[in-house]
Amino acid sequence: MTPRTRRRLLVMLQHIAIVLFILVMMVPIIWIALAAFKRHVDVYQLKLLFTPVLDNFSRVFAEPYNLGEKLFNSTVVAAVTVLLAIPVATAAAYAFSRFRLRAQTFLLAIILATQFVPAVVIVLPFFVMYRDLGLLDTLTGLIIVNLAIVMPFAIWMIKGFIDGIPIDTEEAALVDGSSRLQVIRNIVLPMAAPGLVTAGIFCFIIAWNEFLFALILTSKDAVTLPVGLALFKAEEGDLWNLMAAAGIIIMVPMFVLALIIRRHFVQGMTMGAVR
Amino acid sequence: MASVSLNNVTKAWGSVKGVDDQSLHIADREFLVLLGPSGCGKTTTMRMIAGLEEPTSGDILIGDRRVNDELPKDRDVAMVFQNYGLYPHMTVRGNIAYPLKVRGTPTEEIGPRVEAAAEQVELTELLDRKPKALSGGQRQRVALARAIVRTPTVFLMDEPLSNLDAKLRVSMRAELKNLSHRLQVTTVYVTHDQIEAMTLADRVAVMQGGRIQQLGTPEAIYNDPETLFVASFIGSPAMNLVRGQLEAGALKVGERSIRLPDSLPVRDHADAVLGARPEDIDVVDAGQGHIDAEVFAVENTGDSVLITVRLGDQKLTSRGDRYLKRAIDERIGLKLNEDHLYLFDAVSEKRLRG
Repeated sequence: MTPRTRRRLLVMLQHIAIVLFILVMMVPIIWIALAAFKRHVDVYQLKLLFTPVLDNFSRVFAEPYNLGEKLFNSTVVAAVTVLLAIPVATAAAYAFSRFRLRAQTFLLAIILATQFVPAVVIVLPFFVMYRDLGLLDTLTGLIIVNLAIVMPFAIWMIKGFIDGIPIDTEEAALVDGSSRLQVIRNIVLPMAAPGLVTAGIFCFIIAWNEFLFALILTSKDAVTLPVGLALFKAEEGDLWNLMAAAGIIIMVPMFVLALIIRRHFVQGMTMGAVR
Repeated sequence: MASVSLNNVTKAWGSVKGVDDQSLHIADREFLVLLGPSGCGKTTTMRMIAGLEEPTSGDILIGDRRVNDELPKDRDVAMVFQNYGLYPHMTVRGNIAYPLKVRGTPTEEIGPRVEAAAEQVELTELLDRKPKALSGGQRQRVALARAIVRTPTVFLMDEPLSNLDAKLRVSMRAELKNLSHRLQVTTVYVTHDQIEAMTLADRVAVMQGGRIQQLGTPEAIYNDPETLFVASFIGSPAMNLVRGQLEAGALKVGERSIRLPDSLPVRDHADAVLGARPEDIDVVDAGQGHIDAEVFAVENTGDSVLITVRLGDQKLTSRGDRYLKRAIDERIGLKLNEDHLYLFDAVSEKRLRG
């Protein structure tokens, strides 16, 4: 065959590969999305055309599933984690970025190293510790765990954004008459804001989706959405339509946040002060 | 308005000495330029005056006050940075107003003072723009306005013109000169550009290796250099420096012997260096001057012609009239201006004064 034909064939093959890849990624998600609107029987019949119903969504919020409670727990845990993590991480990131600390590289490495510990390894010691402290099945307990999980991410991400602020700008503010705190409040924070928002959303998503610790450390009152989703299966057999509805409720906020991050992420990465 | 003094100031990082036991007194309202190549310690010195670096030892005084332990914000200095250090999230107005706002100036005072500063640097139309919508020259003027809005005790300027293109640099130089004359504020100005130093300074401190090589007026630096470094750093094209053995008033360079004028202070010196600026060497016919040599290069710069000759493995450049015409390899004579010849010791690099 001619080189031109060969080229066209190659392009076609590439397109097919891309479509296949997309299908593999998207089909499960689309399936679940569709299942959320099906009646139970339609799910098992694998129907593609069906009359959609909405009462799956109202059922999951009612007894005995009480998704509303779990939604509340997830929201509180994720939001409070972010509200506590970002200010502390910003302070740490600023210090790492601007001050010459002794053993700085070592400290940063250790902070990152905590991420290398598999959750499975430490979840049982956490259980024992929480039991003794009376933190089992509490939102406070979950918040503490999530803080420990997201803090290293937050510090590293925010440090990256602060590193991108030219030191000239801060020194100018110092000479102009600011104290160090004023520099942070008036100059650094406004300039790093896209980065802080990005880090905050990143941490929110992590805390929202956190499953293992929530599973082990909660039982009744502080159960979050991902764990609640798993409980569907245990309690009533395989109610896929309800599970799918709950899954949609969990996923949709995350999609929205991820879209927001995507826009700010690029801006945060390429930001730098004016020279 | 105040003087600035450095008394035996050293800044060291481990064994590396950025500034090495230097003392300097800048009079009230003086425009002092710290001049030198990269790494000579000039910016470090300025940052110590600003309070952005702490001296390892020695005292820094503003007026009669020892300010070593004072924060930058308490020293009442204003600084223009090389990269301007503008606040990108504020408008020009916000940038200029910031020093007043952060020091608690009453709100009704801020507006008029910002407008006055903007007018002095011709920025009035641009007050509502953000820095990213400004050109380099405009940003530099914002940095200037931000510095002058407060009428501080001391101005510090860290290579403020070096990021501008050549033409703009020349026009901003004149504006800076005018501005400093109008404001009458003690100014410390850092640059590596010797033309900026010569045109702006009341006095110049030429620095190298953390030490001040010479402190004096631009005329003194230019016409009476203390060391080889100062002699070669100032002047463009650079001063000619010819190495040889000085014996009985004649400089032996390789096979040649250059008969020097009797007015020179030293007649015998092993390892001497003769200095003469290109404009102090005239091109004459062979046999009519102090040196005869073949033309190595001819360069027409527009306002003058530079003729370079070879002396063994050294070269001499003479600056002559713009209509001067000589051919390469032509044999010519060079006449040295007796009043502007300099002798240095090759080893210590110090000027020989007899």
